[in-house]
Amino acid sequence: MGGVTTASSPAGVPAAAAATGPATEPAVPFLEIETLRAREFIPAAKEALASRISEEAQDRLLRPVFNWAGRNSLFPLHWGLACCAIEFAAAFGARWDAERFGVVPRSSPRQCDLLIVNGTVTWKVAHKLITLYEQMPEPKWVIAMGNCATGGGPFRTAYSVVPGVDKLVPVDVYIAGCPPRPEAMLDGILKLETLIKERGE
Amino acid sequence: MTGAASGVGPDRLLARFPQGILGIDPFPGTAGRLRFDPAIALELFREVRDTLGYTHLAMVAGIDWVQTREVLYAVWSDAGRRYLLLSAQLPADHPHIESATAVWPSANWHEREAWELVDISFDHHPDLRNLLLPTGYQFHPLLRSFKLHEPEELEVKVRDV
Repeated sequence: MGGVTTASSPAGVPAAAAATGPATEPAVPFLEIETLRAREFIPAAKEALASRISEEAQDRLLRPVFNWAGRNSLFPLHWGLACCAIEFAAAFGARWDAERFGVVPRSSPRQCDLLIVNGTVTWKVAHKLITLYEQMPEPKWVIAMGNCATGGGPFRTAYSVVPGVDKLVPVDVYIAGCPPRPEAMLDGILKLETLIKERGE
Repeated sequence: MTGAASGVGPDRLLARFPQGILGIDPFPGTAGRLRFDPAIALELFREVRDTLGYTHLAMVAGIDWVQTREVLYAVWSDAGRRYLLLSAQLPADHPHIESATAVWPSANWHEREAWELVDISFDHHPDLRNLLLPTGYQFHPLLRSFKLHEPEELEVKVRDV
C-alpha cells in the first residue's frame, strides 16, 4: 500500500480531495481514508497520520480504534479442563450464542487473546497452562472461570491442586460458580470488555 | 499360554512354593486372595501367569497399614473369567518388592502410581518416575502420615520441572 494519495484511491473519490493532490493538506485528514477498503484502513491511516502528526498524537488517535476492535473480538482459547468446560461449550451453542459478542474460541494459543481457565488446575498441568499463556500474543487477558480456577474450589487443600490460577498467570476477571451458568460466563466476558475499555489498552 | 490351566484356584502353587505362600483366603467374586512372601515375588508372578493362566494384570494397589505396607495385585484370567488377588506385606521402613513389569507389562503405570502415592519401591522397574503428580513432588500424599497442607505451605517448583 503506497501513500494515501489520490493515485491509490479507488474511483469515486470526492472531487475536492482528488483535486488537492498529495502536495496540499486536505481540509479533513480522514476524508481520503474513508474511501479505502476496511482491511487497508489501519496501515493506511497510520501512514497518512505519520506525515501530519506526532507519534504521541497518532497513538492517542489510533489506540481507541485498536481498543474497540480488540475488545469486540475476543478469541478465547478452546482448552477444556473440567466440568466448567461443559458450560463454556454450552455458551457457544444455539441457546446462548456467545459469538454474537464477537467471542470465537480458537484451537491454537497463537490465535487467541483470551485464556478462559475453565476447571481445576493441578500442579501437574500448571506448567502447561503457563506455556499456553506465554504462547498467546499480546495483548492478552485471563478469565478464571468457576470456583476451582478462582481459588481451588472444594479441592483447595488437596495435595495436587493449584489453589487459584492467579498463582500462575495474572487474572483479569473472576467468575464465581460451581460451575457458573453460561449467562455468568457471558457476563464475565462483558465485564472484561468493560475492563479493556476502561484501561484503554 | 497353551497348555496352561485356565483361571484355576491358586492351590496347586502350594507345592511349588511351600515357604513363600503364606496363606490363601477365600475372597468373594475371585479365585481367592493369596498372601505371599515378597522374596518370591517374581517367580510367583511367572507361575501365576504361565501355570494358572492369569494373563492380565488389572490392578496394583498400595495400602498403608502404618505398621506395614501392603501391595495388592489383581490378575485376571480370560479363559476362567475371574480374578485372583495376590497380596504381600512389606516392611514400613523400606517397603520394596520386585517389579511385575517383567511378567505383566501393564504393571508399569500401576507401580509408578503406587510408588508416588504410598512410597513403595519396585525393584528393576524400567521407568520409576512420577505418573500423576508433578515431577519432583516431594510428598507421598496417600500415606497416613501425610498432613494436609495449607495451600501456601505446599511449595512445588512448577516452573523448574
